Amino acid sequence: MARVMVSEFLKIRRKMILFLILLGPMGVIGLEAVNFGVRYDWLTGVYKDDLWRGLIGEVSMLSILTILIGLTILTSMIATIEHQTNAWKQLLALPISKTQVFTGKALLTVLLLFVSCLLLAIGTIVLGLLLKFGTDIPFLYLIEMCFFPYLASLPFIAVQTWLAITMKNQAVPLMIGIVGAIVSMYSMNFPDWVPWKWPLLLNDWDMPVYSVLAGLAIGILLYFIGLLDFNRRDVK
Amino acid sequence: MSNFIIETNKLTKKFGSSKVVNNVNLQVKKGEIYGFLGPNGAGKTTSIRMLLGLARPTNGSVQIFGKDIKKERLSILKKVGSLVEYPSYYGHLTAYENLEAARLLLGATKPRIDEVLAIVRLTKDAKRPVKGFSLGMKQRLGIATALLGNPELLILDEPTNGLDPSGIIEIRELIKSMPKEHGITILISSHLLSEIDQMATQVGIITKGQMIFQDSILKLRAQSTSKIKLTVNDAEAAWKSLLTHGYRTDFNQNKLFIENGSDDNVAEIVKSLVQNNYSIYRVEEERKSLEEIFLELTGLEGGL
Ligand SMILES: Nc1ncnc2c1ncn2[C@@H]1O[C@H](COP(=O)(O)OP(=O)(O)OP(=O)(O)O)[C@@H](O)[C@H]1O
Ligand SMILES: [Mg+2]
Repeated sequence: MARVMVSEFLKIRRKMILFLILLGPMGVIGLEAVNFGVRYDWLTGVYKDDLWRGLIGEVSMLSILTILIGLTILTSMIATIEHQTNAWKQLLALPISKTQVFTGKALLTVLLLFVSCLLLAIGTIVLGLLLKFGTDIPFLYLIEMCFFPYLASLPFIAVQTWLAITMKNQAVPLMIGIVGAIVSMYSMNFPDWVPWKWPLLLNDWDMPVYSVLAGLAIGILLYFIGLLDFNRRDVK
Repeated sequence: MSNFIIETNKLTKKFGSSKVVNNVNLQVKKGEIYGFLGPNGAGKTTSIRMLLGLARPTNGSVQIFGKDIKKERLSILKKVGSLVEYPSYYGHLTAYENLEAARLLLGATKPRIDEVLAIVRLTKDAKRPVKGFSLGMKQRLGIATALLGNPELLILDEPTNGLDPSGIIEIRELIKSMPKEHGITILISSHLLSEIDQMATQVGIITKGQMIFQDSILKLRAQSTSKIKLTVNDAEAAWKSLLTHGYRTDFNQNKLFIENGSDDNVAEIVKSLVQNNYSIYRVEEERKSLEEIFLELTGLEGGL
């Protein structure tokens, strides 16, 4: 599997993918920089009890939409690399199982998105320091707010990977992913079992970890269902 | 274990209700260049996809190196190089990077990349993105990829598609040299008999999903029986005269034809014509071309 991943990383060279991985977190931090720059007095007033928590909260609100749209675009771009010249047949005529191919694609998105979230956390710290919020950084809260929405989004990575790989025309997976991301933004009043609500980390118990666990469990389940379907299909 | 490198048993593929591949028993022996011949839409690519485990047979089985492709796909594919239909490549990567992406999965060595690049003469262009390659170069890169893992079996689906004459000759020579030099077995598909004729030792002809001929190329050539064509001044009268003297010929389009005549037989007929004062303008041998045999076998008239 390591060789599969090295090969996958080689294939995304010179694509816009790595740029996107940077652009996502940079965009969020940039917008927050403008937000705090323009409304500095007002926002520091609102969050005067804990400036860092205030900043992290603002960042994570923007990041959820970015993660959901980002993963939609990523999975689609990664699949397009194979669709473009119909490379699936050549790839799968190599001594590699379909399971490895599917897993490689899903894992690539998971890893790349992880890097984005890491950059987001680092960017938040840099922004907070620049805004002179002091060095008393609530690291645990920062890590929660940067990585929990990402983990709760695993079901979407699984579904979008499957859609992008099984459909040659990427309009459908892109539309489903983007509509889903927008639905997610308005899902705070949905029942807890609706997956679109999970990235918001809101639930009746006020336990963000529950949303993450649901995301992990259903994400892995959907990955296996997608994998099963991919294995069953003839290669195009 | 059978002594076939490839052996299919009643291989069948249905799309909807139509049987695109129908009960095909394909048999390829070690060291052969097997020409897999058939007109467009005959089911060649579909068969090849099933050989490689890319498509699932509706019925029947595929054995390669004596192993079932369903059960031992990965260990089989380690020793198989393939090119299916038009070449696949990653346009944004260089030729070298394309081969590296495949090499990682094949577990071949790095120097092997330079070797295969040299074999297909792409060494000079190795560092260029493949999207700027000509079709012929892409095709050669596809063949390089197929050779990367030092395969024992090469499966090439119309590898000379889109190549210019010199490219075709180059690929043909490359293919012909392989069984001799490396003991590789090759299955190569084409819709052009002339192409197969110049390379293959065995031929399988498929049409409408069914295998209608499978034997050595020599057996196929043997089917090209010859006739002697006689052009004489009054063909109809000559034909009748020959009949009264006990010689059977065919009269057609104002010409006389002798089917499967021995040399003596032909000589006697000519002698009889001369003795009866017919003027003989021409005595020609007419050989049915392989192309005609192919058309006859596949039941297609005209244009291929
Ligand atoms: N996925 C599919 N769904 C439905 N029909 C298909 C599919 N793939 C192939 N066919 C049909 O199967 C038939 C055989 O196709 P195939 O590609 O195997 O022919 P071929 O012998 O390779 O022809 P060519 O010389 O044109 O490459 C064609 O009529 C084609 O339309
Ligand atoms: Mg074909």
